[in-house]
Amino acid sequence: MNFMFSKSQSMLQKSARDFLVKECKTMAKETENTDKGYGDKLWDQMAELGWMGIGIPEEYSGLDGNFLELMVLIEQMGKIQLPGPFIQSALSAFTINKFGSDIQKKTFLPDMVDGKLIITTALIKGSYEQIEPAKESEKKENGCYILSGTRLFVPFANTADMFIYFADTEKGNTCFIISTNTPGVKQTQLDSMGTDKLFEVTLENVEVSTENILGKGGAGKEISDYLNNLGAISYSAYLLGTIDAILEMTSNYAKTRKQFEKPIGSFQVIAHQLADMALTVEQVRSLTYFASWKVAEKMECAKEISMAKARASDAARDVSLFGVKIHGGIGIIDEYEMELYFRNAKTHELAFGDADYHREIIADNIKL
Amino acid sequence: MDFSFSSEIEAFKNEVQAYFKIEKELASKARKEVEAGEGFGPAMWDVLRKIGAKHWLCPTWPKEYGGLGLPFMYRYIIQEEMHSFFHMYGTVGAGMAGPVILRHGSKDQKEKFLLPIAKGEIEFALGYTEPEAGSDLASLAIFAEDKGDHFLINGQKAFNTRAHYSQYHWLGARTKKTTQNHKGISLFIVDLSTPGITLSPYYTMGGTRTNGVYYDNVKVPKDALVGEENRGFYYIIEALAYERIMTVSALERDFNILIEYINKTGRGNSPVVRQRLADIAIDIETSRLFALKVAWMLDNNKIPSYEAAMLKIQVTETEQRMLNTGMQILGPYGQLKPGSKWAPIDGMFAWRYQDSLEEIIVRGTSEIMRNIIAERCLGLPKA
Repeated sequence: MNFMFSKSQSMLQKSARDFLVKECKTMAKETENTDKGYGDKLWDQMAELGWMGIGIPEEYSGLDGNFLELMVLIEQMGKIQLPGPFIQSALSAFTINKFGSDIQKKTFLPDMVDGKLIITTALIKGSYEQIEPAKESEKKENGCYILSGTRLFVPFANTADMFIYFADTEKGNTCFIISTNTPGVKQTQLDSMGTDKLFEVTLENVEVSTENILGKGGAGKEISDYLNNLGAISYSAYLLGTIDAILEMTSNYAKTRKQFEKPIGSFQVIAHQLADMALTVEQVRSLTYFASWKVAEKMECAKEISMAKARASDAARDVSLFGVKIHGGIGIIDEYEMELYFRNAKTHELAFGDADYHREIIADNIKL
Repeated sequence: MDFSFSSEIEAFKNEVQAYFKIEKELASKARKEVEAGEGFGPAMWDVLRKIGAKHWLCPTWPKEYGGLGLPFMYRYIIQEEMHSFFHMYGTVGAGMAGPVILRHGSKDQKEKFLLPIAKGEIEFALGYTEPEAGSDLASLAIFAEDKGDHFLINGQKAFNTRAHYSQYHWLGARTKKTTQNHKGISLFIVDLSTPGITLSPYYTMGGTRTNGVYYDNVKVPKDALVGEENRGFYYIIEALAYERIMTVSALERDFNILIEYINKTGRGNSPVVRQRLADIAIDIETSRLFALKVAWMLDNNKIPSYEAAMLKIQVTETEQRMLNTGMQILGPYGQLKPGSKWAPIDGMFAWRYQDSLEEIIVRGTSEIMRNIIAERCLGLPKA
């Protein structure tokens, strides 16, 4: 038993924190209203640091390592609300590495590690009121598929070169990797409250070949389960960074802000709210580290991941609300960073399943 | 980072579990004694002596005092199993008094008390709380006057739960009147059969007996003093530090009983029930991770400070949430006491719902724990 990070994980944590605080501390706010949505040099810098190679085997230009290292990194990104498609790119790379053919791995992974290729994920279908195409796919005689459908909340489809997409085919649900510039693919930005650029991606009679299929035809369920689990634990780690940063900025504020001639943190009503926030952060930390360790050790961990994401999702809402309340007026002013954390907490609470969704999975796993 | 036990610890855990399964009947009798509210009865003393004979009450102590010289994690494993099997995870002697005697006691005190503690032959009642000294323990008033060849003690204690079956009182008493309250307190080991000591029982709503303890001109020998005079408050704090661990296996046990009952009655499909119980499952898992972390810290020379406060809140408030949720799911039947033919799970939740309240109060209330987190974890200014 050991509750500490390894030496190399600690070093990664420190170098990530140094880089992110020095180069990217205010990036989310500064780039929110730009077309790209994150810093121009960010992707190249991260590739140079080797971050896109974490968890990818050396033979595909990766750094080896496992999910714990990735989690360490994502937590630090959450602390400063780093924008950009890093999580999507890592999820895609892990998924390709696990399910892709040797040719696919050789085609995609080295370029992803080098920062030349960005692959995002297009997973969520249109809402219930909208009519989906009667047929998501049609197989042509030459073996190609014609795909039609809409996916929402696709992060950073604007800068992604490709996206992972699931559609029902005659073989069952199937996973495709599709270029964003394929004829018939259209992206429209969604105007949402967080700093992530989210897109509606529409496919209208898009022709893709069997080379675009990841894994076997009909293996979509297995692949999307893997991707969704990894996404849930990745966003737990990001949210851990989010709430840890909110705790830090709020307790610093409570030490310096004086009312009634005293720092407001000396009032027990404020101190106990902060103590509850600290307790919540530790809950999310324990559950996230534990689930990530299980992922890294390749153990059965669906329940543990759902526990982490359920608690992280509720915590995102609770801790960010306390943060705003304790900051008072300045907590809702857009010149200060608190409001940005509050908005993003909602986006990431909902990403890869909110607490209700994951509690249902837990209920199954405790044999209810 | 590694959340798994070593193979040695895993094997030890199996050994302890196997032992308690052999002694299942005795453990269940001891558990019934605790549930009846009167504390240690014949079965509990029997069980303690048996555990003591295996050196499992004080496994971290040196061998000469009845221990095994093992790392703390072994003690934690034993405590988890004890709590699960008979609702009690240790003695005050083994957890708090013993370690202070070991560190600050005289040679005579070590010889007189440590082996009997390790063997499960004696127990100490904590003598801290007074009617006017609860969370503000340093304001305690019971007075021990130095009469040259003995101390003369007068005053009263409250909520000294184990006093009616323990042989000894682990007494915090004032020995000096000073403006700094915590600098005038000393610790004593007092034989509870000493003339002048009377007990007055009170019962909690869960039916557990606790006691007021009255000292009326009680003569106590000079060698009853532990360590240095007027250093008692520091020892009290130190003793609390030895007993920072909380166990979670009893929570897991009761939660599983609840799930089994709910499945049997066909309500496991209700979305509300599923949502609520899943949330409790998360809290229990978190409690387990917090406890393991504190146990690991104690084994690695890291002093748990706010981590122990978080553990206490996490475990005791999870217990409250679990029992509240259980009671709500059981509906009107849940309030029925053990013995009623309509009582689900033989009234266990009705009893636990009341009896568990003690846990959010003893050894520092949840609010005191929040003060500790605010000051030590976040560095907020004192109120």
